[in-house]
Amino acid sequence: MSDVKPVLEDLNVIVAGQGGDGSLTVVNVLADVLRGGGLRVYTERDVLSRIKGGITAATLRAYDGERLCISSHIDLLVAFDQLAVPKYAFRLNSQSIVIYDSSNGELPEGHGLPEGVRLIPVPLSRYAVKHFRRDIYKNSISFAVIGRLIGLQDDEMEKAFVKRFTRRGAQAVKYNLEALAVGCKLSDEAGLEVGKGKFEITSQDAKPHMLITGNEACAFGFAVAGGRVFCGYPITPSTDVMEWLVKWLPKFGGVVKQAEDELSAINMCIGSALTGTRTMTATCGPGIALMQEGIGQLGMAEVPVMIVDAQRSGPSTGMPTKPEQSDINLLCYGGAGDFPRVVIAPGTPEECFWLTITGCNVMEKYQVPVFMCLDQGLSQNTATMDPLDLAGVTIDRGDRLDAEQVAELEVYKRYLFTESGASPFAAPGTPGGMGLVTGNEHDEFGLVSVDPINRNRQMEKRQGKMESMKPELPKAVTHGVETADIAFIGVGMCYGVILEAMDILSSKGIHTQYHQVRTLWPMLDETPAFTQRCPNTFVVEYNYQAQLKKLIHSHGGNDENMHSILRYDGVPMQAKDLVNEVITKLNLKEDKVA
Amino acid sequence: MTKTFTPARPIWCAGCGDFGVLQALVGSLEELEIPPHERFVTAGIGCSGSLQNNLSCYGYHTLHGRVLPTVTGAKLANPELTVVGVGGDGDGYAIGGGHLMHAFKRNPGVTYIVMNNGTYGLTKGQASPTAPTGYQDNLEEDLDPVMLGLSIPGSTFIARAYSGQPAQLARLTTEALKHTRAGKGMSYLEVLSPCVTYNDTYRDWRTSVYDVDSEEGYDPENRTQAFTRMQELRDEGRLPLGLIFRSDRAALESLSLNHDYPAPALQDITKPDLSGVCNDALQSFIK
Repeated sequence: MSDVKPVLEDLNVIVAGQGGDGSLTVVNVLADVLRGGGLRVYTERDVLSRIKGGITAATLRAYDGERLCISSHIDLLVAFDQLAVPKYAFRLNSQSIVIYDSSNGELPEGHGLPEGVRLIPVPLSRYAVKHFRRDIYKNSISFAVIGRLIGLQDDEMEKAFVKRFTRRGAQAVKYNLEALAVGCKLSDEAGLEVGKGKFEITSQDAKPHMLITGNEACAFGFAVAGGRVFCGYPITPSTDVMEWLVKWLPKFGGVVKQAEDELSAINMCIGSALTGTRTMTATCGPGIALMQEGIGQLGMAEVPVMIVDAQRSGPSTGMPTKPEQSDINLLCYGGAGDFPRVVIAPGTPEECFWLTITGCNVMEKYQVPVFMCLDQGLSQNTATMDPLDLAGVTIDRGDRLDAEQVAELEVYKRYLFTESGASPFAAPGTPGGMGLVTGNEHDEFGLVSVDPINRNRQMEKRQGKMESMKPELPKAVTHGVETADIAFIGVGMCYGVILEAMDILSSKGIHTQYHQVRTLWPMLDETPAFTQRCPNTFVVEYNYQAQLKKLIHSHGGNDENMHSILRYDGVPMQAKDLVNEVITKLNLKEDKVA
Repeated sequence: MTKTFTPARPIWCAGCGDFGVLQALVGSLEELEIPPHERFVTAGIGCSGSLQNNLSCYGYHTLHGRVLPTVTGAKLANPELTVVGVGGDGDGYAIGGGHLMHAFKRNPGVTYIVMNNGTYGLTKGQASPTAPTGYQDNLEEDLDPVMLGLSIPGSTFIARAYSGQPAQLARLTTEALKHTRAGKGMSYLEVLSPCVTYNDTYRDWRTSVYDVDSEEGYDPENRTQAFTRMQELRDEGRLPLGLIFRSDRAALESLSLNHDYPAPALQDITKPDLSGVCNDALQSFIK
């Protein structure tokens, strides 16, 4: 037994099997143990739109530092189904290890694994059935093998199991702990004895971290920001927003209503928002498409509602569980007629939290629809982050009138012409503040009007909000070397992979920067200006039509300076893909640059 | 007193049944002493969709067919408002028909009045879901929304009135508002409201309406009997009026909201409880 083991700095694990095999559970428990050891973790899922069956996977990265993407190099593949091996073999290299279920024999030929891969066959399913008469315990058995391999202590694993399974009852804890013990025995037989793990797992940074997804962070941000009504219709990959709020919003004094469809959801939201309540819905492309009429109504009738778009692969029903960023056009341009709206694009769960709060403030102050533009990766992948400092939360509800303020007015007009474009709002129930709200063109009182002069003034009032609000919208963040003449632009799940690519490029002596745009609509002047300034800007996005790049170009961005890196196969990018694109496109010689 | 909008004069054709509905609604709101600022009136799209402009209230002109989701959302957010939805048969039974069964099922504390004239008046007389076979070459059997409502176990108040019989219309409108204000959930009132221009049914309806309120032995609390009677009357070519069905069930909002807090719309959210529930939620991500 060697005394000097490498400290665990970067571990990437894929756990794969049939849907229902419990791959996600393994990864979640592993993530929990490793973050207990002070590492940051990031998890991703590759699932199908079915409850059981098909080959699915959960992926984990544990990193000593922050990484919001999975590495290009996978250290360990755990396969409950041998079919998962050829599916993920391309992610492995000669240093990788494969633990697979050997209940039905050795791996057949044609598995596609690179040479040098270490194979650890373990009859997981056979032992699960033998000991528990239930195949499902194979994932808990496998956990012991994984833990022993990487160097977790047996008692750490037990503790994590107790924590994980307690909410499922004493029986679940008992059987899963027994399964863990079976796994430890099998590990011994496979030569993975206690203390023979690959890594030293230290706890230098043992301070507590949050483990959170973008969807959860939006939901949490909404609740803290005073959001009190959520109406939605379940749709992958946005549903976790509703699920979190179902559990938590009543504790904040709020309510969640599951509607019969997205038409109902957006209109329930409108009804709620009309009463002066902070209101949200969450959906993805097909739901946004169904909500279009309601979204136009928000713009025209000046009703504030927040809409989370957890974008998935389209068009139409597309690939429901796969990521894409192809609703950018829909969010920025969708709907009948011209109306103001805001599209905010966070890059991390932390930004999902804070920018949801910003978005809530902006939507009420300016009485417009606000979109939170996420994607499946940002929405559903979990990441560690430092505990939020809630003292930074501020709430701004704009110009709201109570009964006394109304009484001081000579006249109250729901759609009063103002400098900013937003009119003071008296919520229903406020004595004296009766007003009319309509999606028809209307005069200042809300009475229907087709008078051309009034029409122009009302249109200009609404559109004028876009300029008024600009100073309050989230500005771009610059990462890396601000003077570098190679740059990236990308939103959502591109964030983590761009930052890792920049580190790799930097290690090759190629310095880059990342202009992380965070407001897509109205586009702030800074982004087109950036592309005018920086001669080599790679716009990284998950769609075919380069929607983000075209959006920047249409606002005065320099098309000659922008190069697209596009992906639309439903597979998350890897940092090495971006590195290769940059080196190839710019014809860089790594050694020369260095 | 602060000046707000002056209720507009209705834009309906002379003789339109909707005048009767407006008059009944205003009368009932006044009879029940519901002040204008507590009235939240949402109207759909169509001729009936301008009703909220004609009385003093917080009024909202919703999208075509979306009256019921809108009023459901409003009532959940602020149950202290008297929430009234109004619309036509095209709005409520065609483009918004899908929401109707869910509204019956949910039973939110709203009053929903449908002005049924069997036609799309505003687009010049196409057949609506309640148009009889033969109207404008309509080949389909007409929809009976009262029977639809009766078939949904969650429904709690179903009535039908006729704008040609204003006394009963006024009484049923008041009953509908009372049902909802008593916390029993959705009161659904269909009003036969003739379109004098495209489907003038005053003469037909005057002879075919049938008042169950004055029928001896009719029990509006017996769903089975109500359904059977509706089918019998339909087979006889009659249009049943009156309080057709009523039952007791808690309204959606009272079942949904956390009563330790004021209604969502009435909370002061500007000072979040950072050390309480906000911190609990934060800690749940750490554990």
